Amino acid sequence: MTDAKPLLEARQVFKGFFGNPVLKGVDIALLPGRVHALLGENGAGKSTLINLLSGALQPDSGAIVVDGKPVGRFSPAAARAAGIAVVQQELSLTADLSIAENIGLGAFPRRFGLIDYAALHRGVREVCDMVGLTEPLDMPVADLALGRRQMVEIAKALYRKPRVLILDEPTSSLSAHEAGILARLIETLRDRGTALLYISHRLNEVQALCSHVTVLKDGGVTADQSLSGIDGEGLVRLMVGRETGDLFPPRAVSSPGALRISVEGFSAGLVRDIGFSARAGEIVGIGGLVGQGQEDLLLGLYGAIPARAAKAEVSGKPGLPAHVGAANAAGLVYVPADRKHEGLVLPHSIASNLILPSLGRLARGGLRDRAAETNLIADLARRLTIKGDVARPVQALSGGNQQKVALAKWLPLDPSVLLLNDPTRGVDIETKREIYHMLRAFAAEGRLIVIVSSDTPELVHISDRVVVLREGRVAAQLSGTAITEEAIVGAAMGVNTQGVAA
Amino acid sequence: MNAARSLFRNPPLLTFVLVALVWLIASLTLRGFGAYGHLRYLLELAAVIGIAAAGQTLVILMGGIDLSVGAVITVTAILLPIISPAWDPTGLVGIALVLTIATGIGFLNGAGAAYLRVPPIIMTLAMATFLQGLLVIVAGGSAVTVSNPAVILLGQARPLGVPAGVLLWLAVSAVVLILIHRMPIGARFLAIGANPLAARLSGVSITRNTLVLYALSGFFAGLAGILVLGMNRQGYVGIGDPYLLTSIAAVVLGGTSILGGRGTYAGTIPGAILLVTTTALITVVNASPGWRSIMFGTLILALLLISGREARR
Amino acid sequence: MSAVSSPNWLYGAIQRRRNRSLGGLYLVVAAFLILYAVLFPGILSVGGFSKFTQNWFPLALVTMAQALLMLNGGITLAIGPLVSLGAVIAATTMGTALGVPGGFLAVAVTGLAIGAVIGVIVAHLRLPAIIVTLAGSFIITGVALILLPRPGGFIPGWLSNTLAGHTPVAFLLLVVVLVLWKAFLATPLGLGIYAAGDNPVGAFRSGVPVERVKIVAFALSGLLAALAGLFVAAQTGSGDPIIGAPFTLNSIAAAVLGGVGFLGGKGTMRGAICGSLLLSVMINVMFFLGFPPVAQYVAQGLIIVGAVAVPELLAQWRARR
Repeated sequence: MTDAKPLLEARQVFKGFFGNPVLKGVDIALLPGRVHALLGENGAGKSTLINLLSGALQPDSGAIVVDGKPVGRFSPAAARAAGIAVVQQELSLTADLSIAENIGLGAFPRRFGLIDYAALHRGVREVCDMVGLTEPLDMPVADLALGRRQMVEIAKALYRKPRVLILDEPTSSLSAHEAGILARLIETLRDRGTALLYISHRLNEVQALCSHVTVLKDGGVTADQSLSGIDGEGLVRLMVGRETGDLFPPRAVSSPGALRISVEGFSAGLVRDIGFSARAGEIVGIGGLVGQGQEDLLLGLYGAIPARAAKAEVSGKPGLPAHVGAANAAGLVYVPADRKHEGLVLPHSIASNLILPSLGRLARGGLRDRAAETNLIADLARRLTIKGDVARPVQALSGGNQQKVALAKWLPLDPSVLLLNDPTRGVDIETKREIYHMLRAFAAEGRLIVIVSSDTPELVHISDRVVVLREGRVAAQLSGTAITEEAIVGAAMGVNTQGVAA
Repeated sequence: MNAARSLFRNPPLLTFVLVALVWLIASLTLRGFGAYGHLRYLLELAAVIGIAAAGQTLVILMGGIDLSVGAVITVTAILLPIISPAWDPTGLVGIALVLTIATGIGFLNGAGAAYLRVPPIIMTLAMATFLQGLLVIVAGGSAVTVSNPAVILLGQARPLGVPAGVLLWLAVSAVVLILIHRMPIGARFLAIGANPLAARLSGVSITRNTLVLYALSGFFAGLAGILVLGMNRQGYVGIGDPYLLTSIAAVVLGGTSILGGRGTYAGTIPGAILLVTTTALITVVNASPGWRSIMFGTLILALLLISGREARR
Repeated sequence: MSAVSSPNWLYGAIQRRRNRSLGGLYLVVAAFLILYAVLFPGILSVGGFSKFTQNWFPLALVTMAQALLMLNGGITLAIGPLVSLGAVIAATTMGTALGVPGGFLAVAVTGLAIGAVIGVIVAHLRLPAIIVTLAGSFIITGVALILLPRPGGFIPGWLSNTLAGHTPVAFLLLVVVLVLWKAFLATPLGLGIYAAGDNPVGAFRSGVPVERVKIVAFALSGLLAALAGLFVAAQTGSGDPIIGAPFTLNSIAAAVLGGVGFLGGKGTMRGAICGSLLLSVMINVMFFLGFPPVAQYVAQGLIIVGAVAVPELLAQWRARR
């Protein structure tokens, strides 16, 4: 197996955007029958490398090599023809078309020029079986939850019977059950001789599935080796070059202060009739499987979606904030999970993004005070170590730095409550560490942090209390030593800690 | 070479240079084009487009579009002579009334977009359709002559040799440029245009800004209508129609992205002048209506190719 | 045995689901038609029905032309001028040696060609569709005016009588067009139009030739609009270079009425056709009730706002419950 020729390679590829070099001479070779992990902090260039390998982008220099032969203008169509399939985080599905039509998009079986729906049906049914999709195939994809849509995306890649399968954070929206199906699927494909490239921040998955690893750091390859004999610590060391010991700050002895949020009979979006309360100085984690109402809880408290409560008191005032402006005035701020589409105005500069919530406050006589703005922006950039020219478009920053901007813009408001939705998703380890330490510091200053996270170890280490949501209701409230990964996952899946299904 | 490259990256500047070039060439090749009186006349015509396009620029920056500009201009031009009270010798009351109505129409557009969630393109289209029907019913087919002194002053006076309309345009330009670049509301318009959801979650009130935005657009369209009335001395159904498309074209020619979130009024100014110059050149050629139409369309397309390219996918 | 719950006939199941999601719209259309038949029973006769569908047919075609582009995430302001041009070309070629078949071919080819050119400009030069079609509308109107400066030209009497006489030929033609559309939608290009409108990046990554799809959408749109013009010329018996002007607005209004969205990928062609039927009914009702033609505009404005606002308000109200 190890003597097999690589199916897909990148040789000394360089790629840059907006004057930023992202990949600087990267080599990678995907061999058949091997699950190859691609690790690296965000900003290290993983997504760019995937785009190059799948034909979505062209390298500035260097070559993409298929079956030993360099390809000229590599396009997604050419990649497809070469048997390369990608499953990326941004889904490529069309909301109003059915599951079957989505899976076959771009690869429809034809008969006399028309789509052969019968053949499509057969082929789609086969891959859906592999992936565990039991929904009716005529169902429009828009009606599916995010995790199911991700499975459709995976089925779509499999439909083309790929020789090379690239998976970018495939489990980010999947439940534990779905992730298990995917893991078994990967093993099956590997045994059939498919070359697999697996990108994930979840090191336990990488350890379980992959046999070889390439580590990207700052646009270059720092390791390209077999994974045998390397444990979790070793992996992280490969990525950051040092120990992970101080990833999480020490747990503080918290003496919670005044009640900042207290709601009873609260409903918003998927959330049905729950009670929730939190005090100043606490870090409250909200756990649960993806899409159980965690986001709606935050949005409802923030006044961003319609919400109702039998009784509510927020920041000392009765009632829920009617809209975002009222929430901000009450000291609540929100950092969304999707920083690209909800947290930041991507085409605008870092400076514009940082100053947006503070525009009114800094204005004098109706006009903007440019000097004051520049000072504030420089101060924020310094505090959060956002390096470089702040006039650059914020989309030129790495994921971790973008997240820092999304967070930093709120600081001038001196918020008393920070509502954070998956704040470290897709963020590199260094930045994660900075964020965790920042949150602890905020809590020590008397602020309330409510953090929604799909990363259970994160919840365990950072929260003083954890509330687990399931189907829009509170499944468990844990505090102190009762906060464990098993307890959180168990409550999320409806299993009590003795392991008996509810 | 670097100077040329930075020129191409600055759309408003590019459009200015284009206008200067066209004026230069036309003055040298066509007799009478470069005469002071003629150029001044072009600027007067451009002033109407420029003022109407002031509101349109703001709307497009925020990611919307106002298809009711032409109708509001017509409404203003027709209503002003009708509702100017006879007891007011200055005519200012009539102007105030009509501007209030224009702003009110804009406000209704904003309300429809903000509260009824009707997409602006449809809301303003529907409003324009509605107004056009209403106007014919109310005013019939006849033209109304203006007798309002303030309006006539605006349209005909030339203090220090500069047409009052152009002075008005200068004032409007100053206000709009300050609004976009030196006031918080300008930055908020741009943020909403680039990413409404992120803007909303950052505390920017979409509702309030939408109302203000379309009310402003209505106001500027009303102002343009008053100017047009003063210059023409009479208002009639359809007088505002050409200004809808020219206001949009002026904005786009000035380098503002039709998708919103990027651009400035500084480009709309030469954009308006360029459009008027184009029309004038076509008239000079004295072609049939068919050829004139073709030339106008082709020139807009050509100008668009030079200065209106959208960003890569 | 497959664990997937699978319909027996996939294509049929997909169509049924799409129809189900439009249930509300179908009901509204049915209600309006019944109301119309009650008020003006003339529609139930062959002659009355023919007249109604003759008024509906060009509107249906231009609505399809507009919906094609809106579904693909674009819009066209060139519909009206294309209709005029189609009428003008028909009226100027059918009297010559080319005759009716030649005239038909000329109209069709012109529509396709102009549409394709616009499509190339929008797709490959990446200029915004709204401005390109705006500029294009001037150019196309100019061409129509040059070919026929004043209403005139010649349409053979028998053609006018067949298409716009007392027989429901127009309705049959519409059915033919719809069948052809269904066939087109069942091709990769057809579905590609929806996909590229809803998720252009995703469609590109899936290997959908998004530029080619856009050009095809524009070309077909041009074809439909030009053919609508041919029909209008047959209706009036001559060509008129500005007869198409109201069709631009009408096509947008009808498409919106039928639930086609502006952001691409939202809505269906069948919805758009329902929208055109509704609009046609409303126009006829107003005409018969003695409203002045301009009242049509007032009503249209209100209708458009209502058509968009009401579903939105309903959705908001439902979310609050």
